[in-house]
Amino acid sequence: MAALFDRFAPLMAQRDAMLGDGGVNPFKVKMDQVLSQTEAIIAGRHTILVGTNNYLGLTFAPEALKAAHDALEACGTGTTGSRVANGTYHGHKELEDALCDFFGKEHAMVFSTGFLANLGILSTLMGPEDYILMDADCHASIYDGVRGSSAQIIRFKHNDAGDLDKRLGRLADKPGNKLIVIEGIYSMLGDKAPLAEIVAVKKKYENVYLLSDEAHSVGVLGKYGRGLPEEVGCEDDVDFIVGTFSKSVGTVGGFCVSNHPDFDTLRLVTRAYIFTASLPPSVVASATVNLGLVRNGGALRKRLMRNAQHLHAGLTALGLKVASENSPVVAVVTPDPQVALMFWRGLIEAGVYVNLALPPATPYGYSLLRASLCAAHTEEQLDKVIAIFAEVAAKVGVIAPVESLPVRKRSAVA
Amino acid sequence: MSGGTEPSAETLTALYDILETFNKTGAAFAPGTRFSEDLNFDSLVVMEFVAVVEDAFDISIPLNILPDIATIKDLAVAVEKIVAE
Repeated sequence: MAALFDRFAPLMAQRDAMLGDGGVNPFKVKMDQVLSQTEAIIAGRHTILVGTNNYLGLTFAPEALKAAHDALEACGTGTTGSRVANGTYHGHKELEDALCDFFGKEHAMVFSTGFLANLGILSTLMGPEDYILMDADCHASIYDGVRGSSAQIIRFKHNDAGDLDKRLGRLADKPGNKLIVIEGIYSMLGDKAPLAEIVAVKKKYENVYLLSDEAHSVGVLGKYGRGLPEEVGCEDDVDFIVGTFSKSVGTVGGFCVSNHPDFDTLRLVTRAYIFTASLPPSVVASATVNLGLVRNGGALRKRLMRNAQHLHAGLTALGLKVASENSPVVAVVTPDPQVALMFWRGLIEAGVYVNLALPPATPYGYSLLRASLCAAHTEEQLDKVIAIFAEVAAKVGVIAPVESLPVRKRSAVA
Repeated sequence: MSGGTEPSAETLTALYDILETFNKTGAAFAPGTRFSEDLNFDSLVVMEFVAVVEDAFDISIPLNILPDIATIKDLAVAVEKIVAE
């Protein structure tokens, strides 16, 4: 009989071998004190945060803080109940109305996290006769969501509308509904979906729906921050948008919006919505207020993209390989996990926090130093970050050119 | 999943050819070769491998059936079934 955790032993051994016997443990970073959206004290050191997904820097917006304080005083620290029992307060309905208003959609459902929104919607929406066609690089919450579905799950090649077309073509004579699942911006490398091409493929076939996870693109893309569909101008072609309040919206929670007339049915059949406690009123209040700030956040979006371009240009000039251009995610590709760890430790010891992202959580098996920008970063902060990257890179010796990014073979859109 | 059906030699050979590029163990291939235990495939390799098999046979292999595929024979049977559909 194997011991309970035996099957994880190889992974733990791999972790121990990688960590060695010294240096900061990247899996145990603790923020001792958060100073602002962009700075914290970590291990006694003043640290610039460049890996928080706090794209618009709204975590300390005074209007949201006040609304949260007021809701906390008025409604208490938690609802202690499910949305379908005692956990729907007036604030939850107001937030759903605000989401409908924000996206221009008829229906909205608020979940307790973005992960739960994907888990709930994807496990419930499609039935045994149906098909889900998901981009291969989708987030873990999407993989876990579809695993709970009774539909057939098919992956298509990342950002490859031609491959999607081929796979939908093979299903053309199958009677079931089909759901395409993509993300507006993919979190690890920060690349966007080719949404116009995907919509064109969708329109070639019958009974095909499109769901886009806009977790990293709401607040970032589009004049009013509605994400990639707004930027591309095809909001009516995206049947379901899933998103989160834990990035640009600056708090926590998830949602799904749609114009489907029967959308509200999901409230009675989605287990990740029914069998969990609803968001605390203070969180709901701050999300509602921040949603308004996101909509009117044109200036913040400009600052965010200017910051992203500044960091991208600075790191590229150092000879580092950066994955995506014009993206709020600036991911530096390193040769292997060991180099990535050494580099990451050098950065944290010099007062720069980025995400260390290693396979299997990364596409192509990349070992990444993943930075994400904030509208609140100053040019001085980013120049300091670039200077520290330069010092550490020289020390670690990875300026030696990393091989160019592999180009995945693409199928042509028929 | 190993059952009564025997996959054709052509299907097995085609899979062996694809497996060459993924095999880091040097293990020889037989219908009973197991992806996880004998070839040390982890989840990432499985996904890359499945994508190449899908291209080679011009099919989609649903993720749902992967947990039931332990050996090369299991995969060959599944591939033939999907091709026949």
